[in-house]
Amino acid sequence: MRGALSLLGRLARHPSGLIGMVLILAIVAMSALAGILYPDGPWTMAGPPRLWPGADPRFPLGTDTFGRDLIPALFYGARVSLLVGVSAAGAALVIGTVVGAIAGYWGGWVDDALMRLTDAFQTVPNFLLSIAIVGIIGASLPVITFAIAIVAWPMIARLVRADVLRLRTYDFVQSCKIIGMSDLRIVFQQILPNCLAPIIVTASVLVANSIIVEASLAFLGLGDPNVMSWGTVLNIGRQELRNGWYLTAVPAVALVLTVMSLNLIGDALNDVLNPRLKERK
Amino acid sequence: MTTMNRRSFLSTLAAAGIVPAVMAGSRQALAQTSGGVLRTPAWPAPTYLNSAVSTGGPESFLSPKFYDGLLGYDFGMVPKASLATEWSMSEDGLTVEFKLREGVKWHDGEAFTSHDVAFTFMEVLKVHHGRGRTTFAALEAVETPDDLTAIFRLSRPTPALMRALDSRESPILPAHLYEGTDIMANPVNTAPVGTGPFLLENYEIGANVVMVKNPDYWDEGFPRLDRLVVQYIADPATRVAMLESGQADAIFLNQIPAQEIRRLAELPEFEMTTDGFEAMPSAQQMDFNLDNEYLANKLVRHAIAHAIDVNWITQNVWYGMGQPGRSPLHFDQRAYFTTEGVPSYPYDPARANELLDEAGYPRGAGGMRFGLTLDPSPWGTESITAASYIKEVLRQVGIDVTIRTQDFAVFVQTVYTDRNHDLALYTASMGVDPTIGVHRFYNSASYLPGTGFSNGAHYVNPEVDALLNAASVETDEAARVQQYADFQRLAYEDLPVLKVTDISMATIANVRVKDHTIDALGALGSLKQCWIEA
Amino acid sequence: MSEPVPLTGTGTTGRGPAKAPSRRLSPALRYVLRRLLQAVLVMMLVMVGSFLLVKLAPGDMVDAMAGTRDLTADQIASLRERYGLDQSVFVQLIRYMALLATFDFGYSPINAAPAMDVILARLPVTAILVVCSVSLSMVIGTIFGVLASRFAGKAVDLGISLFMLLLYATPSFIIAILLILIFAVKLHWLPIAGFESVGMGYTGLTYLKDVAAHLILPVTALCTFYIAIYGRIGRASMLEVLKLDFVRTARGKGLTEGRVFYVHALRNALLPLVTMAGLQVSSLFGGAVLIETIFGLPGMGRTAFDAVFQRDTNLLLGVVFISSLAVVIVNFVIDMLYMVLDPRVNLK
Repeated sequence: MRGALSLLGRLARHPSGLIGMVLILAIVAMSALAGILYPDGPWTMAGPPRLWPGADPRFPLGTDTFGRDLIPALFYGARVSLLVGVSAAGAALVIGTVVGAIAGYWGGWVDDALMRLTDAFQTVPNFLLSIAIVGIIGASLPVITFAIAIVAWPMIARLVRADVLRLRTYDFVQSCKIIGMSDLRIVFQQILPNCLAPIIVTASVLVANSIIVEASLAFLGLGDPNVMSWGTVLNIGRQELRNGWYLTAVPAVALVLTVMSLNLIGDALNDVLNPRLKERK
Repeated sequence: MTTMNRRSFLSTLAAAGIVPAVMAGSRQALAQTSGGVLRTPAWPAPTYLNSAVSTGGPESFLSPKFYDGLLGYDFGMVPKASLATEWSMSEDGLTVEFKLREGVKWHDGEAFTSHDVAFTFMEVLKVHHGRGRTTFAALEAVETPDDLTAIFRLSRPTPALMRALDSRESPILPAHLYEGTDIMANPVNTAPVGTGPFLLENYEIGANVVMVKNPDYWDEGFPRLDRLVVQYIADPATRVAMLESGQADAIFLNQIPAQEIRRLAELPEFEMTTDGFEAMPSAQQMDFNLDNEYLANKLVRHAIAHAIDVNWITQNVWYGMGQPGRSPLHFDQRAYFTTEGVPSYPYDPARANELLDEAGYPRGAGGMRFGLTLDPSPWGTESITAASYIKEVLRQVGIDVTIRTQDFAVFVQTVYTDRNHDLALYTASMGVDPTIGVHRFYNSASYLPGTGFSNGAHYVNPEVDALLNAASVETDEAARVQQYADFQRLAYEDLPVLKVTDISMATIANVRVKDHTIDALGALGSLKQCWIEA
Repeated sequence: MSEPVPLTGTGTTGRGPAKAPSRRLSPALRYVLRRLLQAVLVMMLVMVGSFLLVKLAPGDMVDAMAGTRDLTADQIASLRERYGLDQSVFVQLIRYMALLATFDFGYSPINAAPAMDVILARLPVTAILVVCSVSLSMVIGTIFGVLASRFAGKAVDLGISLFMLLLYATPSFIIAILLILIFAVKLHWLPIAGFESVGMGYTGLTYLKDVAAHLILPVTALCTFYIAIYGRIGRASMLEVLKLDFVRTARGKGLTEGRVFYVHALRNALLPLVTMAGLQVSSLFGGAVLIETIFGLPGMGRTAFDAVFQRDTNLLLGVVFISSLAVVIVNFVIDMLYMVLDPRVNLK
């Protein structure tokens, strides 16, 4: 816990880390406050349809084709984007770490088999696989999250495996074996904590990419119709592109800022966690 | 004629400069009221180039360009000559005799005869055509006393038959190329040999169809266009942009969002018409699954109808391109459509709440009475869009709706095979005659799990069945009108299906495109009279 | 389209573990054979996995047809029989793999044509898109990366880095929409949709120009994300290489700074970029779905998308096969390049 706090502190002193954190905090605040500020939800048809931003002070960002205020849509959308982004990245991290650790630590045919599986997932066009899963099983948040995670884990698996391969030859691992520690404990208590740095850095990129994939799916009409996501607004906006491009611009800007802030944080984390890279600045 | 001429990138490069440019200068040479290339974007792409083996939308549009029907239809569905020049029905309605046009040749030079007619109806339309099986169910034989006479023998009167003889619904195929073959696998299905005004020049599967004028067409002076190009473009917004930027000349059959049609129609360079769609009135409607314990209650169905403002959906989902639903029939089924005595369900959330209380479903925890699943059809975007409106308005009266979007195959399976649905929202054709498009949703005999777009509500009312069965063989027009009026009253009181919007189709075209809609079939006809102002 | 790509760190390789070298085959040949065998295995995994995904889901192609073609129950049954959909999934899988072994993709009922014909017709569009995007983004991205590293820490570096960040964070479909709005709708400079002006009978140079004009916007939209990736990897990689001994030696030998920078360092910094190209090809096939949809291009990506929704299994699996094969081949070639170019690669 103290480690995490000190990491945050170091991030805050890094210029891009600070900007990224401020932005992401704003987005987290939006999603946290959505329910409090707009208890009626984002679907209420509160005003006249297709109101341009600024046309009516009640709706500073305008309304969509249903007369739904875009601001609650943005707030609730932040919730969905973060939820899908974080849970898809989380699921990918878990699968990837487990697969990578097993492959790296046990080696042999287990490693071979798991790596071919990893190859297979990296070979299939990933976005197409996500489309197929969501299209066939049906567009709901859990399915979308699954469809994103299932194509994202191989990268983590490779990363973890490479680190585990390196670490398992180290003395401290050997000593653990000698004192009779179980393999599972060695992997999860001794080895994995030592390869956290690259995983954390990659995680921020994963979250950003998951958010983009969710929006892309929704843009193609494969979003969950029961939740208001930025992709939902983008999908509505796409039909209105010439009459009201603000409907595309508003969620697009939110999306780009979120992805950007996550990447800024990723860059900063990389610098903070990786002193070797830092020194060449 | 070229068939399925796939472009290979390398061979195109190799051939570059060798093939002469076909287009150059041909336009100026032609008379004022003729010529030009008509380019139209559409979606989806066809499977076949012939609507006798598939009633899909793309096939319906393409087929009439290559093939002719026995009849055409003027506005009001008044029959006019095409391959048949004269026709007459016997008093009892059991015999129809057609005199066929002389000197008509297939694209491959063979002569067209009555045998082609007999073969097409008996072997193709009655067997492989989705609707033909029903429409021509009573057709027992087609007699061919000579090459230019075809006599239809019916086991019972079929008033719908005379409305289903155009080239879109019943194209006449060349018997000499189809006879004795596996019809569904016949290569002519994608390399059409018809009697129609256009020849296939190039077909790139899934990408485009290029048609060129048939110089030997039986109707002298037609077609007027030099070429007709259909390009398959998946994104509606892109189709709009093509029309707007001059990359396309016309968009038929509501192939772009209604609000864009509305917007473009305001511009001086475009013209819109809602004529030419009498042969395919379509509507958006919502099935109540009567096997659901809540929906089995008529009060609940009436409450839901009062909670949904169908006018709002017509204005905001269909952008006013249509009329709010008022009856099981479509308003364009002009002879039979009525609202007189048909119960109506004006938007009234208070009344909806009352009805739900009366039905015995008081609001519980969180203000909700019960939950329902709503399956919108993914065909087009309008059902999904309307679904999110319905979810919100039903929430306001205490019904918790979960929207489930699935792909089309799963939608059809969920609703019509597994019947694992509560509310199903979709658009469907109401048919050129109610027997073809409407009966299937209400007749208890159409409760056919496994068959898409049948009686998905599981509605059974012997009185309604009797009316529908009588109307399908009634040759006395006045009696038929009365039967349909009674049906509309009964069915809309029971309300197994809520009509949301009767859709008005539209064609939006550049003003340079002339005469594209001159009869009831509009762009679903041959387009042989269409031309482009130079 | 974007997909998870590590921006940080240059090496993405985590190739197979060390194995004892064989006594008879040379290490190089053994390595090549081993990679080939792995490639075949991966292809089989991909195909069986994709097949099961499509087949085990509810609903099939005939369900999709039934809705649009008003089919009756017995017509539906006869279609299922015609396409072998009445058999068990296992039987269908065996049949399909046997067919695939002869490089036959089967029949695509949605197109009423052999799936191979449909794919071969669609392949050129996607292939041109992918090749143009890979090469363009690589060249432009590398130029940006090298420039940034040349002026590391200066205003140019900061400017380029910010621009890269913006490109990286903007999804391709948003860029595509922006491009259409500006260049096609407002300015009328470029065509909006399609691969060519269909039915205009263009030939020769006119045809090539026509195609090029149609491709400018989609290729640009597909490029931006990867320009950012190559730019950032290129910069990092250059900075790393510049620290290595041989660069110092080259400087020590009195070579000009420009020559050291552009010849010696750049050549060595390119390797990680080549690795990236392998990942890019794979993700471009996915990204093509969005771009082909928005620009109305009749390519493989959109074909696959439609095949998913119409449950045209043969067509979908054919596209998966072809695009996966392309990825496997590119990765194999990259591995071979590494083996030849970089003596540090472990051949075992």
